[in-house]
Amino acid sequence: MQSIIAGYNYWIYILLMMIGLYAMLAKNNLVKKVIGMSIFQTAIIVFYVSIGAKEHATIPIIAHGHGHGAVEAAIDAAHYANPLPHVLMLTAIVVSVGTLGVALAICLGIHRRYNSLEEDEIQEQLQ
Amino acid sequence: MIWQLDLSVLTLIVICAFATIMVKDLLSAAIIFGAYSFLMCLLWTEMGAVDVAFTEASVGAGVSTVLFFAAVHQTSRKVKPRKSGRWFSKIIALMAALLTGLVLIIAEADFPGFASPFSPASLHLSPYYITQTLHDTNVPNMVTSVLADYRGFDTMFETAVIFTAGLAVIAILRRYKKEDRCDLPEPYVISAGYPDTMIRFVARQLVPFIQLFALYVVAHGHHSPGGGFQGGVILGASFILLAVSYDSKMIIGRMSEKWNVLLGNIGVLIYAGIGFLCLLLGANFLDYSMLSKVLPATDKIMARSHGMLGIEIGVAIAVMAIVISIYINIISHGKYDKVE
Repeated sequence: MQSIIAGYNYWIYILLMMIGLYAMLAKNNLVKKVIGMSIFQTAIIVFYVSIGAKEHATIPIIAHGHGHGAVEAAIDAAHYANPLPHVLMLTAIVVSVGTLGVALAICLGIHRRYNSLEEDEIQEQLQ
Repeated sequence: MIWQLDLSVLTLIVICAFATIMVKDLLSAAIIFGAYSFLMCLLWTEMGAVDVAFTEASVGAGVSTVLFFAAVHQTSRKVKPRKSGRWFSKIIALMAALLTGLVLIIAEADFPGFASPFSPASLHLSPYYITQTLHDTNVPNMVTSVLADYRGFDTMFETAVIFTAGLAVIAILRRYKKEDRCDLPEPYVISAGYPDTMIRFVARQLVPFIQLFALYVVAHGHHSPGGGFQGGVILGASFILLAVSYDSKMIIGRMSEKWNVLLGNIGVLIYAGIGFLCLLLGANFLDYSMLSKVLPATDKIMARSHGMLGIEIGVAIAVMAIVISIYINIISHGKYDKVE
């Protein structure tokens, strides 16, 4: 039971990655493929944030007194969650909205030209 | 960390992911995807990643959903069933997904224990950030200090990526001439919405408060979750709210295409300009401590804090402009100003 709970986050990230990959490969509709891509991205973010999590640790903001440079006690690294994966993933989320915008723009461009978002219909028109 | 909450949220996330993929209506898929993002946001708060959760709440659950709506609104809502049963390609896709999963599960045996304080990722670089951030920069939110100072170079190019994405959307969708118009019937005229007094009144009253909150998020990112990316997205979302409740013309009157691209440029240039200013003052690129020579009444430590605020403002301006630009390009199908 303990090992199941310990591995649960990792298993879920693998499962989400599989769902996203399957949607990107097998779905016929282009918007569904884009949703699959977004799920794949969030799966990777789950993985990174899980790496940064620590037991009995708080959020990565130091409780501090007022005034310039007022540090009361020495800071123990084990008391705060690892901030580095958070930083990397924060920017990754914002970039993901950029890639989402570009992907949807490409979908709209395809729809403008072929009047369809279904992969098989577009392929028929291409042949 | 509360493992019961962790397990239940993760289970709900998987259910939402399945539902988004399976549902036949694209509008429903977009809404379920918004719920999925919101659950992700809960999961990250629960794991202590408050800044990531804040970003996900504003970007994933907010702007992404609106972008999906805009795209679905401009195309078709229903997913058509495949004409011929191409079960073969589905089986190949399933095999590929299962194989990837299998490889990852085998690799999972080598991962460090979940939430272990002794995992390699938490032992080498991050203790320095955690223990020294207050001493080095006087910024208690270490996510902000790592984002804007220790790894500022990284973030500068992330901002450039956002800007490039905005340019790419313009390059793909924008139609300048009459000849560029598609022969297809225009799906919807954007300004012909039903004027709903209630929605318009409420949206109008809300917008100033949303923008004030966004400015607070940008300025207070040193001490609490938040920062340039989140604040910029919230600022952009306030404009998108006006565009949704009124029509796109209202926004285009205030934020024309020219201004949007210009502001995107200005944001990235503020970031790079502060970096070059540090270079001119004799420090390394983006080493804010030398800014104490220019800023009045600051020592080297406070100068790093103020330098971070400067680049956060640049990031916020760039992100706001690009989010608005992407939304208007998608909702007006590339016609932008010339909405009839």
